[in-house]
Amino acid sequence: MKTSAIPIKPVLQVKNELRIAGKVSDEKGEALPGVNIVIKGTSQGSNTGVDGSYEIVVPDAQSVLMFSFVGYQSHEVAVGNSTVINVSLVADTKALNEVVVVGYSSKQLSQLSSSVSVVTGKQLNDVTSNNPINLLQGKAPGVIVSNSSGDPNSTPSIVVRGSSSITAGSAPLMVVDGIIGGNANPNDIESVTILKDAAATGLYGSRAANGVIIITTKSGKSGKTRIDFNASAGFNNATTGNFQVMNSQQLYDYEKSFYPADRFNNEIPASVVAQNTNWQDLAFRTGSTQNYVLSLSGGSENTKFYISGNYYNEQGTLHYNDAKRYNVRANITHKINDKLKLNVKINARLSKQESDRAGLDGALYGAYNNMPWDNPYNSDGSVNKGTDGGWYGREQENFLHGWQYNLNQANASGLDGDLNLDYTILKNLTFSSYNRVSTSTSKSELYYDIRAKAGKGLGRLTNGFVNNLSMITSNRLHYDRNFGKHELSALAVLEGEKNKIDADGVTGEGFAPGLHVMNTASRILSATGSINENSFIKGLVQLDYSYVNRYFVVGSYINESSSRFGANNRSGNFYTLGASWVLSNESFMKNFAAFDLLKLRASYGVTGNAEIGNYQSFGLYSFASQYAGNSAAFPYQMDNKDLTWEKAKTLNFGLDISLYKRLMLNIDAYNKTTDGLLLNVEMPFTSGFGSVIRNVGAIRNRGLELNLNSVNLEGKFLWVTNFNIAFNRSKVLTLDQGKDIRTGNILISEGQQLYTWNMRKWMGVDPATGDPLWEQVSKGANGEEVRTTTNSYASATQQNVGTASPNLTGGMSNTWSYKGFTLSAFFNYVSGNKVYHNSRALFDSDGAYYTYNSMVLADGWSRWEKPGDIATHPKPVFGGNKNSNQASSRYLEDGSYIRLRNINFSYQLPDHLARKIRSENVKLFVSADNLVTFTKFSGMDPEVVLGPSGGTSSIKYPISKKVLFGINIGF
Amino acid sequence: MKSNIIFKNIVFALLIFTASCDNELQPYDSKSNEVALATPADIQIATYGNYAMLVTEDYTRNYLTLNEWPGDNVVQSGADGDQASLGASYLHIPAMYPTTNFWAESYKLIYSTNLIINKIADGESDALDQLKGENLYLRAMAHFNLVRLFGRPYPQNKGENPGVPVVLGIEDDLYPARNTVKEVYTAVIADLLKAGTLMKELKNADFASKEVVDALLSRIYLYMEDNENAILYANKVIDSKRYQLATTEMYKESPKLVPESNPETIFNFRHTLADNKDKNAVGSLYYNDPETLSTGWGEYYTSQALWNLLNENPQDARLNFITPHYIDGKLQYRGTSPQYFINKFNWQEGTANLASPVYLRLAEMYLNRAEAYTKTGKNQLAIDDVNLIRTRAGLSGSALYTVGALNGRGSVLNVVLEERRLELAYEGHRPGDLYRNNLPLVRAYPGMHGTDNFNFRVEPDAPRVVYYIPEREVNINHNLVQNP
Repeated sequence: MKTSAIPIKPVLQVKNELRIAGKVSDEKGEALPGVNIVIKGTSQGSNTGVDGSYEIVVPDAQSVLMFSFVGYQSHEVAVGNSTVINVSLVADTKALNEVVVVGYSSKQLSQLSSSVSVVTGKQLNDVTSNNPINLLQGKAPGVIVSNSSGDPNSTPSIVVRGSSSITAGSAPLMVVDGIIGGNANPNDIESVTILKDAAATGLYGSRAANGVIIITTKSGKSGKTRIDFNASAGFNNATTGNFQVMNSQQLYDYEKSFYPADRFNNEIPASVVAQNTNWQDLAFRTGSTQNYVLSLSGGSENTKFYISGNYYNEQGTLHYNDAKRYNVRANITHKINDKLKLNVKINARLSKQESDRAGLDGALYGAYNNMPWDNPYNSDGSVNKGTDGGWYGREQENFLHGWQYNLNQANASGLDGDLNLDYTILKNLTFSSYNRVSTSTSKSELYYDIRAKAGKGLGRLTNGFVNNLSMITSNRLHYDRNFGKHELSALAVLEGEKNKIDADGVTGEGFAPGLHVMNTASRILSATGSINENSFIKGLVQLDYSYVNRYFVVGSYINESSSRFGANNRSGNFYTLGASWVLSNESFMKNFAAFDLLKLRASYGVTGNAEIGNYQSFGLYSFASQYAGNSAAFPYQMDNKDLTWEKAKTLNFGLDISLYKRLMLNIDAYNKTTDGLLLNVEMPFTSGFGSVIRNVGAIRNRGLELNLNSVNLEGKFLWVTNFNIAFNRSKVLTLDQGKDIRTGNILISEGQQLYTWNMRKWMGVDPATGDPLWEQVSKGANGEEVRTTTNSYASATQQNVGTASPNLTGGMSNTWSYKGFTLSAFFNYVSGNKVYHNSRALFDSDGAYYTYNSMVLADGWSRWEKPGDIATHPKPVFGGNKNSNQASSRYLEDGSYIRLRNINFSYQLPDHLARKIRSENVKLFVSADNLVTFTKFSGMDPEVVLGPSGGTSSIKYPISKKVLFGINIGF
Repeated sequence: MKSNIIFKNIVFALLIFTASCDNELQPYDSKSNEVALATPADIQIATYGNYAMLVTEDYTRNYLTLNEWPGDNVVQSGADGDQASLGASYLHIPAMYPTTNFWAESYKLIYSTNLIINKIADGESDALDQLKGENLYLRAMAHFNLVRLFGRPYPQNKGENPGVPVVLGIEDDLYPARNTVKEVYTAVIADLLKAGTLMKELKNADFASKEVVDALLSRIYLYMEDNENAILYANKVIDSKRYQLATTEMYKESPKLVPESNPETIFNFRHTLADNKDKNAVGSLYYNDPETLSTGWGEYYTSQALWNLLNENPQDARLNFITPHYIDGKLQYRGTSPQYFINKFNWQEGTANLASPVYLRLAEMYLNRAEAYTKTGKNQLAIDDVNLIRTRAGLSGSALYTVGALNGRGSVLNVVLEERRLELAYEGHRPGDLYRNNLPLVRAYPGMHGTDNFNFRVEPDAPRVVYYIPEREVNINHNLVQNP
């Protein structure tokens, strides 16, 4: 450069031209290669070399140099008189530089070659729940969380990028603090990373066909010990949606319309309407939720700690349904010497749960189906048992009666202990050993008192005991090295895992009133016991390579074997490859200053799934049998020694754009093909078996995901939006010999969407007769398809009538802040799925179940009354109208909804006020969950389990609306 | 450097630990099918396993509901979630789970008997011959019970109507077609005749033995209208003297007995306390203890017709199998149906819903013989057998029949069929007995059936006299042709 400057511009008068040299480093003083240096207001510039040094010629001393580099804050320096300008760039605290935990290693988001989503602990904990998965709903594109129940003890289901399996599990692999498995309380979570494509899941690849959820718990920072206390408390109410059952008069009028005239007055006297019991009001209540978290964190140079305690208590909206949780975590790191670092994490938890104790059909069922004509109380104020005569409802049950005496509860405790060692063998070579032991035990108790109907005049107690033990060790060698502009890191891992579950149960009969311990049983009715084990061994290598922060390549190879697979094929091989190109670090992009980041990503890989039951490859006789007191065995399972891993091949393309430090956009498109599915192949029963598990068939998931973070307004008034949306199509490519698989009303067949409803197609009501009509498809004289309607259920044709999978899902959050006030609102939405409203078979049955309460017709529904009526509902007939309430598309409804999942309003005390109470941070808030849901669904709640065996809304425990008030204080 | 050595040892130890994890894990409650039938003792255990399939809910409950509810002995009193009620109302659908489950359990039983039958060569030992015979009996019974539900009565079209697939474990076909009713009967009879030659042990009524085989043959030949053989095999059982009719008093209490102590039982589905299905047991469908009204559903009652018939002789012991439900002296109703709870499947060994339903008993042998006698013109012998059964039921004098005084029954056959109805009520005989004799089912009593309870009639050639082949099977096995 020295020589070139003069000959190129010989005629120009070299006046004040200055030659500047220097070095660019990061905060730690490490050289930063590839940093862009531009003279402000021009397009002239330079780049740093491998050692971080640069040279540049500037026109004059007034010139200003701009240093910029992905992941770091830009820095401007006026040249002035200096000829040597050394710059230290400060890591950008914004999203680009976020360190993302991707499993066995951490990376800056900007350097990743793969598709990941990150949800911070703060984003996670807006909705109030004790389950981290629950909190992920709508927070990241392509992550579908669905709750089947409002019971605070229920666990939601989660699917990432659609179901990629049919028989095997489709839930993502859970990883806590770098080790497969484990548990974390939501309050202790620093961040959740969702690994979606093959390259991202690389190191977990063999178990990652359904994606990976990585939870990282909080850790202490050296310095002052920090104390944080968060408290919130509030109320829960059941969402009732569009659902309504009849009141006394409505039911009376309705039943009169179809009851045999000669019987009606005799069996249903007009006086019944004097009683109008609202069973839902009796079953449901306003519950309370309380959540308290106290944490301490801090430490010295060598020792850091994070310790927290949490108490969570949520009352369900159904009476006698509670969840109480206690959780303690201690994360401690200690540097023994320069080479050896110790990391200990302990997570202890205790839970007590109480569930509906009514017994028999239960309170939820009674709330829907009990008749308003029945009085829950006797004239003396005591509770009616339902069996004393004169009770109209079919089941002769009053859940209020069982509530008085029965118990239905469970206690569980668990302990996870992690012991991790990091040892620096050589400057570039580290050895780490990660080890965890997890145990958990639970005891459940189901007691039906002798006085309650469910006690059957004797009293009955069932106790269940479950013991879990998991051990895992993961040992890793890590090598890092820079060769000039090339950066290389290599990782080798050897991992072993063993899991065991013991489950025992005993049922006794004959208990004195109120005594619920097995010692007092007059006889034991049954006892059960089982032991289940599985093990995994895995070896893997991974190589990461990057060139001047522009080109990144990652590749890995894994071999894993599992006890779950057949002797011939116990282990499987998996590999992943990913590459990315950071265009914004290229010199030709210097003119596009608007781009903070422009990155292209591509990845491909083979990942695996082992989520099936244990021992499925063996041909077995089960000895869980007896006859007339003799030990007995029966053929239980066909053998399949070839049974092996299910494999998914995923191709992913991604684009990350960051503009003006205000707008961050991530787009991913993927094509995931799972073949060699672990599939329960249905057998004709004449073979002796219902099904056998084989590796056959293929599914393809294709989709598009978009995530947008936008700072709409900056300054005093801040407005930030996060929007995510995901489209996914799951298509069945092949099945065993092309044969369909039916599970209930869902048919899996080649060429169709994975979860397709297949049932008789409802064709409405015959205006002439009020009969139900279904479609019959037959072959005409010339083989052509003829579609006619029939009022015979048996002759109607089963056919595809919609899909149970949504075609798009996502969420949107908006946050507005002004001074100390912050308002945020978070919506999630699901669209395009059909929900089978199963319970309508009982309470929208056209007279088939006249001893149950019936549903009030929803908006737009009408009932046939006389010839010529165009109606949605058939003529009611005593005992049912020609099977009109059997499974058909009649009860299939649009399951789309938009829900205001959470709205939160908070006020942060100004510092000077906070200091008066000696705290650093005081925040007051009010938060509300699930306040509004927009849906056409006729039931209480459109949310159903999405994915395998989902899509059906039965007697549903609706989710809760919660309003909570809280305070966060930090000292 | 010292720490380095320690460290290397740790690494080494961890690697050894990891590599030594045994990835071959065997189940704790099962054995590989390569060893499960290795010895005669193993075959005995597997044979017990085959009997155990009979006491599953899928088998016992559905056998009794699907065979009894379409008749006129019991009445469906109201709306019902059990899809066997579609059999009671003749509103069958192809995907009824009771038929599906019964079919599934039956073929599981057939499959596992095949494994044993095809493993044992005849004459290896008396013990193995006995076990082979027991399995042949179970296989025959399973096929026979299937063809009764899914194939039309044998006399219709001389058995040439479609029956069910006969699976003997020697054919390769995974997707068998339906054999004709006649072919099924032929296979069943072949198995039974073979079983009869192999079994020597006089096992109790929980297990198969030669007389159990003969008793079933008597029934089968009667259904085929091979009356000579029906008499022959009934006589073999009666003449074996292994069984006696229970005394009247014992008979009244028979559901409560320890099953092996009933001298009349030839074969029963033995349920022990460990098999108690409680509210899912068939007894729960018929009976709800009036004391606590909490033991069962109690939704199917003795029909008004059968109640009236039995009450022609109020001393009839068979009224003891009915517990009318009174509250404060007032008979209770569900809908229009009086609550005549049936207790034939309750209180075995003192447990509310425990019962060991009887599949074959001596009284049926007399009635099989009586029916065959009258069909071959031996009316006096027929009346003698009927009177034997009536006498045991505590009847005497004018309550007994003579050939000349049939008490308005019209024919000896009518007398025999009515006696079968009274004696074998709830045991799954009635609708089949009507249809195979080309008689219609006529219901003229209150209940849930039809729009006009008092004029409900099913002709013996009606399509719904048999069930649909389970829809699941037709969907998977395209060789199965559905019943019309």
